[in-house]
Amino acid sequence: MALKALDIYKLLPKKNCKECGDPTCLTFAMKLASGKADPDKCPYLDPQAKEVLGSSTKPPVKPMRIGVGERSFRIGEESCLYRHEKTFYHAPGFFLALKDSSGESQISTIANRVEKDLLVRAGQDLRLNGVAIISDSKNPETFGSVVKKVEELVSLPEILISNDPKIVEAGLTYCGSYHPVIHAATRENYPEMCRLALKFGCRLIISEGDITKIPELVNECVKIGVPDLILDPCVDNLSDCLKKFTVIRKKAVTREDASLGYPLYLDTGRFKDRSGSLYLGILKYASLIVIHDLPEPVEKAALTLRQGIYTDPQRPIQMEPGLYKIGEPGKDSPVFMTVNFSLTFFTLQGYLESSGVSCYMLIVDTEGLSVLTAVAAGKLTDTLVNETLKKADLANIVSHHTLIIPGYAAPISGKLEDETGWKILVGPRDAAEVGTFLESLQSGETK
Amino acid sequence: MVDLPIFLFFSEKNPPRIALEICDDIAFWPGLLKDNLPDITADVSEWAKKGEMEWGADLIRVYLTSTKKKHFSDFPGIKKVIDEILSGTTLPLIIEGSDSPEIDSDVFLNCGEAGSGERLLLGTAEADRYRSVAAAAIAYNHAVIAQSPIDINLAKQLNILLRETGMPDNSIIIDSYTGALGYGFEYSYSTIERIRYAALKGDDDLAMPIISSAPDTLGVREVRESPPETKYETAIQWEFGTALSSLVAGASIVCVRLPETIKLLKTAIIDLSSPSVEDI
Ligand code: SF4
Repeated sequence: MALKALDIYKLLPKKNCKECGDPTCLTFAMKLASGKADPDKCPYLDPQAKEVLGSSTKPPVKPMRIGVGERSFRIGEESCLYRHEKTFYHAPGFFLALKDSSGESQISTIANRVEKDLLVRAGQDLRLNGVAIISDSKNPETFGSVVKKVEELVSLPEILISNDPKIVEAGLTYCGSYHPVIHAATRENYPEMCRLALKFGCRLIISEGDITKIPELVNECVKIGVPDLILDPCVDNLSDCLKKFTVIRKKAVTREDASLGYPLYLDTGRFKDRSGSLYLGILKYASLIVIHDLPEPVEKAALTLRQGIYTDPQRPIQMEPGLYKIGEPGKDSPVFMTVNFSLTFFTLQGYLESSGVSCYMLIVDTEGLSVLTAVAAGKLTDTLVNETLKKADLANIVSHHTLIIPGYAAPISGKLEDETGWKILVGPRDAAEVGTFLESLQSGETK
Repeated sequence: MVDLPIFLFFSEKNPPRIALEICDDIAFWPGLLKDNLPDITADVSEWAKKGEMEWGADLIRVYLTSTKKKHFSDFPGIKKVIDEILSGTTLPLIIEGSDSPEIDSDVFLNCGEAGSGERLLLGTAEADRYRSVAAAAIAYNHAVIAQSPIDINLAKQLNILLRETGMPDNSIIIDSYTGALGYGFEYSYSTIERIRYAALKGDDDLAMPIISSAPDTLGVREVRESPPETKYETAIQWEFGTALSSLVAGASIVCVRLPETIKLLKTAIIDLSSPSVEDI
């Protein structure tokens, strides 16, 4: 059961000594309540209180770091089933699969691709995250030598994939100090795999298709002393993936079964539909995703989807109000006014760019509301537009004093004309039509 | 906690459906399609037929883009187009009428009449212009698409407005608007989840099926700026990723424009509907 901040506060020492990193016991309690802090950070907590807090304030999905150094990343820490309930915190890591039977050139192609591929969108660097080295040869030496080669080429998070502890150990000889992830502990081999995970400080993936048997295996591994586990329910079709992942995540976030409170692992190579399983994994709770072939279009779509789904839904991406350029606009270029809702902004920007006409976009601060909503809510007003116009010094930037407004803003066009003294042209409602609109503008039809 | 009944969404009884989007005047359609399927896109009834016979669509959604022409007034022409499509395909039709309020009434009445007895799905009703389309739908017993801009409360409000015109609940399909992947899609995704969730919790005003189409998909920068070798494939993945995500969120009809995307979606829906190896 989750405790409220005030209940937690009652259990704290109330010294306000700041040693937990928070200014007061109360703020620390608030963090604990939302699962964002670890009770261990308070050195004065009595053991009994610690136990009460421990089970109810820890994030329901165990947080952990994957890899070391610059390209390491965090997973877990999730606390909801739907992103609108709060947010999804840590985006899944994408691991390109590399079989140990691959030739020299393929090894370097894959390793370098993970290291270098970069998609920049909305100011963020979107990347692949690591390499999953698969024992295909079933030979410890071959596996070890491929791990060694990858280590020489790049420093990236790794997953070592084999059910044979000897093979995994051969790989760990070369990369053990970088704490790779081990796949996988099974009912048969878990004591050995746990030993390796302990020795090298690795995260350990538990592979078990029957989800009713996962808790037992988890508890065994925890008993041996491996704290950081990841679950692989061995799904190989979309239906199973959706169902099992949802059930596991639900039992974790409701704290119905703490032994399911670990991040999830998905291998898209087991599916018929490789891009579909990748997209589903992004939507539905996977934290580590192994990808076998990744055509560039799928890579771009997956990175973009992942970025969107892991954007905090409470905080709509708003654009900075002001003047934006499309192409190289001059004194005669048209000016399009619209709102600072990012969806509206990017859509209009896209269509203006593809029209090939240089122009300006004047972005008004409607607190992230779309045109329609902003007009209805009275947030898009003539005075607001006028202020923005003045601030951008538009009168000195263009010579024509004509402002094109979105079709949905037509209701304010009269007032806007009075307030600004500019000529107001009502543009299309649908951004897709600005191209046609611009053509008719240039041929002098729209007057 | 209420679950999305994932087990019901993808039951074999009522799997999500795929609509192929086509139009009657290609001048107002993304260039990508003209470049890749030039012979099909010239004839709207052939296009619809292909959608059914070769590509495997479950519905055809026709945008009457011809009405976007300046000073459009050929209303009898609309009937002709709809008749042609109806003779070319047996699939259920979605008709997207005009998008300028001045001609709404004429366009929708002509659509309604032409499809009389066909139980069309007419689009699109919006908060400030729903009367014409609702009137046409009620007069000829069609259903309507109720579109609102990515907001659960606005979706609810519009449904209530439509109900007041006399539209029965079983003739309303919610379209909460879907932004293209990378252009706000995540807002749409969560709005679909929220609407579906609210309905399952008992909100009658939102207990209608959801349709999702991301009309800007083929024109996004990622597609436009892809090198020629990968441009078409990028468009397919952009459509597929968006549509698959929408139906996982709870959409009952997803709309796409490329034949390859229909194929991918079909496979995915079958896979999503396959009975689980074990009962959970
Ligand atoms: S360390 Fe403990 S006692 Fe000190 S401020 Fe933090 S919660 Fe309070």
